[in-house]
Amino acid sequence: MTTAPAAAPTDPMIRLERLTKTFPGQARPAVEALDMDIAAGEIVVLVGPSGCGKTTTMRLINRLIEPTSGRIFLEGDEVTKVNPDQLRRRIGYVIQQVGLFPHQTIADNIATVPRMLGWDEQRIRARVDELLALVGLEPATYRGRYPKHLSGGQRQRAGVARALSADPPVMLMDEPFGAIDPITRDRLQNEFLRLQETIRKTIIFVTHDIDEAIKMGDRLAILREGSKIAQYDTPERILSAPADDFVADFIGAGASLKRLNLSRVRDVELSDWPVASVDSSRAEVLAALRASDKGAVLLLDAERRPARWVSGRELQREDGPLSEMGLPPEALVQPNATLSDALNEMLKSRYGCATVIDGAGVYQGNLDFATVSAAIQEMRRDARDRSRAEADEVHAAGEAGA
Amino acid sequence: MSLLDYLSAQGDRLLGLTLEHLGIVLISVGISTVIGVALGVATYRTEGPRRVALGVTGIFLTIPSFALFGLLIGPLGLGGGPAVVALVMYGLLPIVRNTITGLRSVDPAIVESAQGMGMARYRRLFRIELPLAWPIILTGIRVAAVIIVGIAAIAAVVNGPGLGKDIFRALARFGTPTAVPQVLSAILGIIAIAIVIDLAFVAIARLTTSKGIRA
Amino acid sequence: MVLAGPPEDQGGVDALSLVAGGTDIFRRSRGVLGLVGLPIALAAAVAVLFLWVGNKQLDSIEQRRVNPEFITNALAEHMALAFTSTILVILIAVPLGIILTRPGARAVMPPVITLANMGQAVPSIGVLVLLALVWDIGFWPAIVALVAYAILPVLRNTMVGLQQVDASVIEAGRGMGMTKGAVLREIELPLAVPVILAGVRTALVINVGTATLATFVNAGGLGDIINGGLVANKQTVIVVGSVLTAAVAMFIDHLGGIAESRLSPKGL
Repeated sequence: MTTAPAAAPTDPMIRLERLTKTFPGQARPAVEALDMDIAAGEIVVLVGPSGCGKTTTMRLINRLIEPTSGRIFLEGDEVTKVNPDQLRRRIGYVIQQVGLFPHQTIADNIATVPRMLGWDEQRIRARVDELLALVGLEPATYRGRYPKHLSGGQRQRAGVARALSADPPVMLMDEPFGAIDPITRDRLQNEFLRLQETIRKTIIFVTHDIDEAIKMGDRLAILREGSKIAQYDTPERILSAPADDFVADFIGAGASLKRLNLSRVRDVELSDWPVASVDSSRAEVLAALRASDKGAVLLLDAERRPARWVSGRELQREDGPLSEMGLPPEALVQPNATLSDALNEMLKSRYGCATVIDGAGVYQGNLDFATVSAAIQEMRRDARDRSRAEADEVHAAGEAGA
Repeated sequence: MSLLDYLSAQGDRLLGLTLEHLGIVLISVGISTVIGVALGVATYRTEGPRRVALGVTGIFLTIPSFALFGLLIGPLGLGGGPAVVALVMYGLLPIVRNTITGLRSVDPAIVESAQGMGMARYRRLFRIELPLAWPIILTGIRVAAVIIVGIAAIAAVVNGPGLGKDIFRALARFGTPTAVPQVLSAILGIIAIAIVIDLAFVAIARLTTSKGIRA
Repeated sequence: MVLAGPPEDQGGVDALSLVAGGTDIFRRSRGVLGLVGLPIALAAAVAVLFLWVGNKQLDSIEQRRVNPEFITNALAEHMALAFTSTILVILIAVPLGIILTRPGARAVMPPVITLANMGQAVPSIGVLVLLALVWDIGFWPAIVALVAYAILPVLRNTMVGLQQVDASVIEAGRGMGMTKGAVLREIELPLAVPVILAGVRTALVINVGTATLATFVNAGGLGDIINGGLVANKQTVIVVGSVLTAAVAMFIDHLGGIAESRLSPKGL
């Protein structure tokens, strides 16, 4: 697969046409005759080994690098020749080093593009507060702070808010979470995905990390040297049907494990584990446990929030109130967590089981190895069916054309 | 005659000379700043012009001040004119050098993100690069001021204004009781000017540097 | 503070160290041109000067100053002033810098550095005249004034140069059983040499410049020519003196630069 998937019914948000960049003094183009359509509202991740030209490609879109030849369309208009400064005000830009202006407050940083666009101060103030709240920085606290007072993660959030300030339809993100520690990075990625559900921007995201690409992308473009597209497709299909050896090598081992990043807890069927109220009698709890094939029972409090895990042995051997028996709940995950996150929690838990709770902490169900295994099987089957169907279609189209 | 007697007797006149000295220093530093910052801004991006700017202003400082004042008498005559021109020339190197250093030390990621947000060249220079380079540029101006305060004393050889006049007058009064207090008071006056200017720069730096980049 | 703070707080710039190095731009080109380019340019400038003077009808006052004998004499006096003072500066400032950086004496370093920076504000002509008034006129009082004025950059650079030697290198030397003296001779001083040399070059250029003022205290030097022209209001004499002085100063800075790069230990 080297071309874009079948054209969407509407115009693409961004279209690149035979886009080429040759740097002076270099024989081979850094980007060579790249054709690409990017649909509105999608996160497209450009991913590839270092030096493949992915960052160059991204910087061609807002013309921080001027293309040698080829054309760029934004919302159907050709922007290859328009004033680049005007163009860039319509495209949000987030880079790894964030690039917040250290001599300006966070509010002034976010207000940069609105000021250039001539918004009135009242509107700017309201927008700044709205964006700070949106990225999870308390406006009253952070508005007047300077970048040096913020942690790395907070700076990156402020950078995202700044890129969103004039509500651009498109955002370019160059390894935005690359310089952040793994734990914070994971949190920021999740936050950003949640944010994208509300803002629905068209996002071009550059990374060299295939795992991040799989997690963040609606569609991945795997690039090889010269920014040539090796495969441009959804993460599921790239993982189940890599186009060639280059893609397969780049994905690397453990494609099945990586696929776990694609499914969310809410997408799979949760398994049945016995539950009982923490206020019920010991006999009732034992009865619930016996009715199932599991070795432990989850006790819920009055608000149906997980309170304790109690095993059958503990129920029989120990005295005392149920609310002090067994272990406090562990391995809690939310429905929007990936199966990979859930699996990680399960591995750490005592009963090989992650407990799903909603935002208010209310019990939703449990997730165990059998559930995850079933989900993997199903994904693999789906992907295989789809690529077979597509192969048939291509075959049929070929015959029709003959 | 003691220094204190001399100071009380000649206080008003010394104050006048001190203000004259301060005046020529401030004028020279001001002109030097305008030229130096402009030169720095014009050359910081390209290697060749940058080297020429630093090389030429560096050579100015190598030329002994007495020789430079002498060379300027021809075209400019005696008095404040050649004095100001020579002092401006001496002040250029630290200002040009620090303007270049300051602008080049601005994090490229910051410049790139400004560019990526659609900030045009001059807006970027005035809103982002110069404010960020400002503490370093200001230090250059301060160093220029200190250099100029001392050299201004020599301007008296070309009939320039300031406390240097008293140093040469004292020399002319060799052997009289007022000669030593006169030269001492001139030296002390010049040191006092240097300290006042230095302290003023501390205040200026505080007032004109964003809280976000202050150490 | 520029006057009170260490140079690294000032963006690496301070007034004293700027005086030297102006001619380094001419040494950028590699090979022979880097070494002889500036001397050739200066020789050409001086040749033009003499052609210009040679075509002029000089009156007797002008002839008294502008003649080979007077110029050679002034130049010799100038060199004697500049080099004697610089050698004395090295003899005083380097050992003093070493002593002041030994453990036990470290507490005096900040005030000495402050004093060194404050010294920038003292006008050189003031020091010369003051010494002439309270002591005497002539060669030795002028030398004392030059030394007093130029001692600061060498003292400060010696201290800074020794101070910035990586402590782990010193410890490695001590760990191998080297005595304190051996560590100083074989590790600290060689590593500090580039910084010390930069200070010496600065002192030399300052001394060449300040020596032009020695004429006011009857100590001779090239300033005699310029001052003679000023007193007699003879433009030609002033120009000859000024151009020669400027050329000599640049040439000395150039030599200082060559010496600085030749004498620095390789590998630094």
